[in-house]
Amino acid sequence: MKKYLAIFKINLLNNLAYPAELITRALMILIFMWIFFQLWAVAFSESGTGFLSGLSLREAIWYFLLAETLELGRPRLARLISEQVKDGSIAYLLNKPYDFLIYQLFAGLGESLPRMAMLFLLGGGLVWAMAGPPPGISGWPLAAILLAGAWLLHFCFNALIGLAAFVSEEVAPFEWIYQKFTFVLGGMLIPLDFYPVWLQSISKALPFAYMMYAPARIFVKPEWSHFLQLLSNQAGWLVLMGGLLILAYARGLRRLAINGG
Amino acid sequence: MMRELRYLVFLWKMNLSAAMEYRAAFLTQSIGMIVNDGIYFITWMIFFDRFPSVRGWTLTDMFIAFGISASAFGLAGMLFGNAFNLGEIIAKGRLDYYLSLPRPTLLHVLASRMVPSGMGDFLYGFISYFASGQLSLDGLGRFLVGILLATTVFIAFLVTIQSLAFWLGTGGTFTALAVNAMITFALYPITIFNQAAKVVLFLVIPAAFMGAVPAGFVQQFTWSTLGLMTLGATGFLSLAILVFHAGLRRYESGSAIQVEV
Amino acid sequence: MPAIRVTNLTKTFRTKHKAAGLAASLRSLVRPQYSTVEAVRNLSFEMEAGELLGFIGPNGAGKSTTIKILTGILYPTSGEAEVLGFIPWKQRRKLAYHIGTVFGQRPQLWYHLPAIDTFTLFGKIYELEDREAKKRIGKLSEAFEIRDLLQIPVRKLSLGQRMRCEVAASLLHKPKLLLLDEPSIGLDVVAKQHIRDAIREMAVHENVGVLLTSHDAGDLEALCKRVIIINHGQIVYQDKVSTLKRSHLTSKLVEVRYAEQVPVDFQIPGTETVKVARERYGVKLRFETRHTAVEQVMAALSAAGTLVDITISDPPLEEVIASIYQTAS
Repeated sequence: MKKYLAIFKINLLNNLAYPAELITRALMILIFMWIFFQLWAVAFSESGTGFLSGLSLREAIWYFLLAETLELGRPRLARLISEQVKDGSIAYLLNKPYDFLIYQLFAGLGESLPRMAMLFLLGGGLVWAMAGPPPGISGWPLAAILLAGAWLLHFCFNALIGLAAFVSEEVAPFEWIYQKFTFVLGGMLIPLDFYPVWLQSISKALPFAYMMYAPARIFVKPEWSHFLQLLSNQAGWLVLMGGLLILAYARGLRRLAINGG
Repeated sequence: MMRELRYLVFLWKMNLSAAMEYRAAFLTQSIGMIVNDGIYFITWMIFFDRFPSVRGWTLTDMFIAFGISASAFGLAGMLFGNAFNLGEIIAKGRLDYYLSLPRPTLLHVLASRMVPSGMGDFLYGFISYFASGQLSLDGLGRFLVGILLATTVFIAFLVTIQSLAFWLGTGGTFTALAVNAMITFALYPITIFNQAAKVVLFLVIPAAFMGAVPAGFVQQFTWSTLGLMTLGATGFLSLAILVFHAGLRRYESGSAIQVEV
Repeated sequence: MPAIRVTNLTKTFRTKHKAAGLAASLRSLVRPQYSTVEAVRNLSFEMEAGELLGFIGPNGAGKSTTIKILTGILYPTSGEAEVLGFIPWKQRRKLAYHIGTVFGQRPQLWYHLPAIDTFTLFGKIYELEDREAKKRIGKLSEAFEIRDLLQIPVRKLSLGQRMRCEVAASLLHKPKLLLLDEPSIGLDVVAKQHIRDAIREMAVHENVGVLLTSHDAGDLEALCKRVIIINHGQIVYQDKVSTLKRSHLTSKLVEVRYAEQVPVDFQIPGTETVKVARERYGVKLRFETRHTAVEQVMAALSAAGTLVDITISDPPLEEVIASIYQTAS
């Protein structure tokens, strides 16, 4: 366990060593938040009541902040792993006395956490100024739990896509399309509650909703029963995707051993 | 002039040959990009289904603006692919190769690479335009003109930002930020922005020239719109050439980046 | 008219100094620190048309900077230079039509395509007529023995094959001056020989001047008639290669291992003991072939004990240059 913490730490420090990079990334969220606010302020004002599907403008913007924090903060694992597979450096990593996947997990965390913290703080500052104060503290721990689950789900999917490099030359298109699915079916650009009902049902049957919508929604509207429902769904998907990942990984290892990379 | 054009055409043919060496990858990337763009656009369809008009901007406007942006982005990648990594080329001293050859440096550098997914974006733009239902012969003509001018502005913007590498070293993340900002702004309805913001979108990050203005032009021909687009294109192009050559002079004095003695 | 004429060339770089870390970054924003590097100092030399000139020196000597100035990529702080009658930094494009460059570390062949495609491209770059280009490619393929390689994607060629294609490509437009920077780096002995012979043939045949910068003394010996040694931005030696060999590359380094231990003060007359190994089974010594006969040293070494292993080598170029620099100053 200690070695993984060390891996986490070094990735963390690595990220902090380049403050300019962190800040530049954070600027991205400021731009997005600002644009979102412009768009939704117009949409909400044209609704007349100031509420849409039970959400206020302020809640909607904080929703987006959390979703964007996760989206911009998560590690680009698919590309990383696929490159390691393609150029063979994965062999080098597999020779080490740690588990490759767990290594990526902790490394990713080390990279992600400072980034997400920075994104949330800077973005939050702007959102507070534009739309009003953040939702009540009671929702934060619930949101944090779902956020962790969401991060892990992203991890599983991305690692799977990265490992697809064992069988496919081109992995980038899968990465793009996966991301767009999370946008559309995860409710990243529009809260799922605004979707037509039939589309909401489809989304809630798929994992993507639990990668974006779940933590963001609970963050702005913490409700115990809703939380439990989202959590159980998320956990279910995690078990499934985690299992698939482990299987794919074992398969990939076997392939590597047979073909010699 | 004709000589340069003939040389450019030859370079483009060579880029295509190089891409065709990996036919499967080229196709996967192109088709993948079309799917990627399509899924992304679904978000807008969901949005306009719920909010048919954003201060006058409708789904039809979106189809066309998105179409222009996608095709311009794709065309830039296909014909002048190095516009996306000019900064890196400058920082790594790879400009020397182009400087030692008897061809105009900037044009030569830019045209020496093709982004394989560019074809996908380019084609998608047309799909998006056709899907708008605004198809007409002269409309298509205006669409093509719009793409040409939008591409010019986009490449000019890229070159200007990337040329900062002459002074700042790499700043790769900064470039990514600028490009992201450009594209994001181009894909949102311009009607949500106030006057001050619109000035920025015309003069600083010229996203207006990449989406909204050409989209309006496609739907209705006016001399003033055409004039505005042409002005934007020539203006930014001149700026780009100026900045690049100023940077080149600095590069030739040796005070640019790393010094290899 | 000389192909290259350099007079009092000086190039000074001002680089910003920055230590690592956040505090240093902030400090450097407010009060930037500069250090000055004099890459080239008052350099003067000439190269005749069609000459084969070696331009050597250790890393940081100022070679690359000089080459960049000669090709017009950098402009000097002061001094003059004329290449083929052009002022490089003022007439770079015009000059470019008449020079060819090969940088060992920076390939110009397109990686994913067959070499012939890059050749065709160069034909367009230098504005050769299609027919003329084809004829030229034919001739070069003969000279460099690459006819069968032209249709193969460059990525599938060995390094030696690739370099031959690179050099051939650089000669497509019949340049009057060819600048080679580390052309044999990474090549095995056979490939090196092959490419040196081909370059020499072409150069003599077509009266192309060759300016070669290299770390490899073998390149120098095979390709150059005259050599300029540059260090710390200045010329420290300028003469024919034959003279250099005669006067400087005459010391030998010998390393031997014995089955028995040798005395700590091991000495062979006429040689200088560089080092006795700690366990005293091995000795490293140096001697001048001008002063001491090889036969003499070998005999003495064999007599001193039971030889188990022996290595004889020439001193590294850096050492030669260092010694030249010392004798020059």
